Amino acid sequence: MSYFPLLILGATFVLSSARAAPTCVVEGRVTLPTSDSAPVVQQRYEIVSKEGVVATNPPRAVVYVEGPFPREESPRTVQLAQKDLAFIPSLLPIQTGTRVEFPNYDDTFHNVFSFSPAKRFDLGRYRPTDLPVPSQVFDLPGLVTLRCEIHQHMRALILVLESPYFVVTDANGNYRLEGVPPGTRVLKAWISSKATRARTVEIEGAGPLRVDFP
Amino acid sequence: MRCLLVLLVVLLTLPTRAEDQPTWREALTEALTVSAPNGAWKAQVSGAVTLEAYRGHQGNPGLVFSESDPFIHPRLTLFLDAELGRELYAFVQARVDRGFDPGADPMGVRLDEYALRYTPQGRGISVQIGQFATVIGNWVARHDVWQNPFVGAPLPYEYLTGAYDERAPSGLQDLGPGAGVDEYAYLPVVWGPSYATGISLSGRKGGIEYAVELKNAGPSSRPDAWPITEVGFSHPAFSARLAYRPDLRLKLGLSYSDSTYLLPSAARTLPSGRRFSDYRQRLFSQEFSYEWRHLQVWAEAFHSSFDVPGGSARTTAGYVESRYKVTPQLFLALRWNRQTFSTIDAGASRARWGVNTTRYDLAAVYRFTPDSQFKAQVTSNRPSGDTSEVGVAYAVQYCLRF
Repeated sequence: MSYFPLLILGATFVLSSARAAPTCVVEGRVTLPTSDSAPVVQQRYEIVSKEGVVATNPPRAVVYVEGPFPREESPRTVQLAQKDLAFIPSLLPIQTGTRVEFPNYDDTFHNVFSFSPAKRFDLGRYRPTDLPVPSQVFDLPGLVTLRCEIHQHMRALILVLESPYFVVTDANGNYRLEGVPPGTRVLKAWISSKATRARTVEIEGAGPLRVDFP
Repeated sequence: MRCLLVLLVVLLTLPTRAEDQPTWREALTEALTVSAPNGAWKAQVSGAVTLEAYRGHQGNPGLVFSESDPFIHPRLTLFLDAELGRELYAFVQARVDRGFDPGADPMGVRLDEYALRYTPQGRGISVQIGQFATVIGNWVARHDVWQNPFVGAPLPYEYLTGAYDERAPSGLQDLGPGAGVDEYAYLPVVWGPSYATGISLSGRKGGIEYAVELKNAGPSSRPDAWPITEVGFSHPAFSARLAYRPDLRLKLGLSYSDSTYLLPSAARTLPSGRRFSDYRQRLFSQEFSYEWRHLQVWAEAFHSSFDVPGGSARTTAGYVESRYKVTPQLFLALRWNRQTFSTIDAGASRARWGVNTTRYDLAAVYRFTPDSQFKAQVTSNRPSGDTSEVGVAYAVQYCLRF
C-alpha cells in the first residue's frame, strides 16, 4: 500500500492550518533591574560546609501575551529541578493546567513548599531516588514563590499564566517570542513581584515586531 | 509589661495570612546583604524577633530562672553569615534579651556564637574555631528557634541534676538539692546547645559523619563558662561524635565527652590532695533520627556520670521526639522525655541524687508566612518519689525572622 496519498493529505492539512492561523514574531529588550545579590548560604550547624559559592541566576523577565487563551488539550509537564542547592530555573513561566515536576539532583533531602495563594503545597522531604518525581498541577493564574524548608536560601518563582505565549528573557533582557497569533494584543513584561509593564500592540504577520520595555 | 503586650499584638497582626514574600522582607534582605563586586566575599545579616510566654513554669524543669508567673521573655537574635572565597565561612550570633536562659536579668546584649570555618575543597572536612555549639548529639542541628518544633529543649538539655559547678563536693553525700549552692549552679547533662569556646574538626565520608572538638568547658557547663574571657583552657573538654547514615532517611550516632564539671573558681574549694580531674563528667550518648516526607523522628539516650571523691553519681536521660506536618502551615510535635538517677549513700541510707522524672511535651506550630510562626506547648511533668505531683506548664512563642 502506498502512503503517498496520506502524505499529500497530511501536508495539505498542515498548510491549510497554517494559513488559517498565521503566527507572528515579537522581539525586543526588557530593561532588567541591576540587583544581583546572591544569597549567603546559612550553614552554621552543618557537619561540612558545602564547597564554594552557590550560583544564582541573574535577574530575568518573562514576556507574555496577556490571556486568557484556551488551555491545551493535553497539558504539558515541565521540570523545575533542585541541583547544587539551587532551583533551576529560578524563574519558570507556565500556562495554567501545566504539571511541574520537581526532581532532586542533590545528594541530600529537599523540601519544596509554597504558601502562595495561587498554589499552596508542601512536598515534604524527599530523596533524589524517590520515585515518582514529586509534582504539582498549577490550575490558578498568579505568582507562586517556591522555597525549600531545609535550605533557607533557595528560592524560585513560577509565573502561572492564562496564555501559552510567553518567553523568558536572557540575562541582558533580550527576548524573541514566536508563534503569537495576529491581532491587537496586550504584551506584558513581568520583571518582579512589584513590577510588570504592559503595552498594547498590533501584531501582524509581516516580519518581526519590535517591542521594548525600557 | 504593657509594651510587651502591645508588641505581641502588633507582631501577631502583621502577617495574618500566608502569602508571597512580603516586599518589606525582600527589601530588608537585600539591604542586609553585601558582597564584593567580583564575588570574592559576601555577607548577610539576618535575625529573629521572638516573644515567649510561660505559665506554671515552676512545675517545669526547664532553665527558666524567674519567679514571675506568667513570665514573658522577649528576644532579638541577630546573625551574621559570611562566605569568604570558596573555603572560608564565618558566622556570628548575638542576642538582646534577659539572659541565655530566661530570667529576671535586665535586657542586655550578648555574643553567643562566633566562628570561622575552613573547608578545603574536595576533602570533605571542616575545621572550625571560635565559640559555637557542641558537636554532641542530634538536637543542636534543630535547636534554633525556627527549626525547633518546641519552645524548650529536650529534658537531657535542660533538666538539672544534683551536680553543681561553683564548689567541689567533698563526696557523694554532698550532691543533690540542699547542698547550699545557688540554683543556677546546678547542671543538666548538656546545657542547651553548649556554646563553649574551642576548635572542632568534622567531616563526612560516604555515609559516615564524624566530629571531634576541644572546648574550654564541658557539655554541662552553664553559659557563664562558655566565653574564653571567662574560662580559659586550663581544663579543656574533649567531645566526639560518630554517625552513620545508611540511607538519607536514617541516621544512627554515638557521642562521647570527657571534661571537668567544676568552674575554675572552684579551685579554692578543692579538698586537700584533690584535683579538677577528680571531678569529671563523662558522657556517652546514642542517637537515632528518621525523616521522610512530612514525618521527622529523633531520639537520644544519654548516660552520664559525675565523679566525686569516693565514687560516681550516674544519670540516664533520653527522649523520643516526632514532628508531623499536617498541612503546609501546621505542624504537630510530641516528645516523651525520661531521666533517672542512681542511688548514692546519704548518711545512714541510700537516696537518689536527683529526682527521677518523666515529661511529655505536646506542641503545635502554625506558620503564618514562610517567615513568621506561632508555637503553643503543653508540658506534663511527672516527677517520681516523694514529690510525685503532676506539674503542667504552658508556653507560647511567636517568632518573626528576617
